[in-house]
Amino acid sequence: MATIINADTSNGLKLTSDTSGEIELQSAGVTKAKITSSGLQNASGVAITSQAGKNRIINGNMMIDQRNSGGVTTPANNVYTLDRWNAGLSQSSKYSVQQVVDAPSGFYNSIKATVLATVSLGATDYFMLKHKIEGNNVADLNFGTANPETITLSFWVKSSVTGTFGGGIQNSNESRGYAFNYTISSANTWEYKSVTLTGDTTGTWDKTNGTGLWLNLALGVGTTYSKSTGSWGAGPVLSATGATNLLATGSATIQFTGVQLEANTTATPFEHLQYSQQLELCQRYYTKFTATNAYSTFGFATAATNARMTTQYHFPTTMRAAPSTSYSGTLCVLYGTGRANITSSPDSQLNINGGYVNYDVSGTPFTAITYSGLIGANNDVNCSVEFNSEL
Amino acid sequence: MRYKKTINGITELESSLCIKKIDSNGKEWIVPKNPANTDYQEYLEWVAEGNTPEEADEI
Repeated sequence: MATIINADTSNGLKLTSDTSGEIELQSAGVTKAKITSSGLQNASGVAITSQAGKNRIINGNMMIDQRNSGGVTTPANNVYTLDRWNAGLSQSSKYSVQQVVDAPSGFYNSIKATVLATVSLGATDYFMLKHKIEGNNVADLNFGTANPETITLSFWVKSSVTGTFGGGIQNSNESRGYAFNYTISSANTWEYKSVTLTGDTTGTWDKTNGTGLWLNLALGVGTTYSKSTGSWGAGPVLSATGATNLLATGSATIQFTGVQLEANTTATPFEHLQYSQQLELCQRYYTKFTATNAYSTFGFATAATNARMTTQYHFPTTMRAAPSTSYSGTLCVLYGTGRANITSSPDSQLNINGGYVNYDVSGTPFTAITYSGLIGANNDVNCSVEFNSEL
Repeated sequence: MRYKKTINGITELESSLCIKKIDSNGKEWIVPKNPANTDYQEYLEWVAEGNTPEEADEI
């Protein structure tokens, strides 16, 4: 026999929990789903997140590191570290970045910044981790209109230093920005933070394949680029006024993971993707063909001259823009039974799906342009070919 | 950061399609002259500051 509960007011039907904060949905006496203070969960307590693509941050759980494979890097300014995470710095060699296996429950990796040399901040100094979101992926947020969406940024953070830290959200040309802050209460302890803000009603916000929205997680920023929190204003806005300077403390560390930016008035559970899904999202901006054995091959090549091979590449996903390309290690052309090492690359003609790269080899091994072969590693497991179309 | 002109690998004339970037680690990148490519955007800023690229390598 069905039991029907009808609302008797104009406010709809509301179910209110007791002080436990939990509401369960049961069938035949068995819990099938529940609502807790953490949101909607299945019977096992795992978050139910049906809004696919809600997280505008790519690699927010720091699982992809194509460039460094978990190695420590001391980045130059505006250089990418873990996939999609860019280092911003006004002075070189002050901090390192690494993907580490250290994360709160529900995560595996985090991005870790370590202070290498202390800095007393000048007014225009800045040290931060940046994440630029493509305009296509935030166009629906309606920033720059009379009706922008409310967005919520959430993340896990752990630092050896306690205090109030800062960050900023900007448009592509840094003419508009919003500063936010958050407090780290306990040293070396994972803490969950969220910031909710209404989008900007003015300014120019890219809605194409350029930078649509730019998130800064500040490590230390001088007064010129630090602004008051809680409202949109003229940029650049890299951090919040009065925020803690991590670089004031030698060997200090800060880690982030579970970074999520969603169109919502409150933070919801992190959207976990399969590894291959996350990798493909990253490959739109940076693709690295890496040798999986000493003689891995990457593409098909045909002779353009007796010392040059034209190599065709096909990208695993459509890239954001025609990419730049480079290679590392001992790259060679495998032709017949011979191998000719690559000495340089004169030019390329790549588009968002693939294209060709010309490579010059030592000597003149190709006696006719009918020669064809494969491009790949020559006894080098560290050989790789890179394609970059980052923001 | 340094930049060089490039040679079209087919015609062996100066390429109108790419420039070569030598990054802070000495690594060479072939950069397409595509306005959406951020390496090319950086190159244009560098040129706007009054710089000029080096001649292409001999081939």
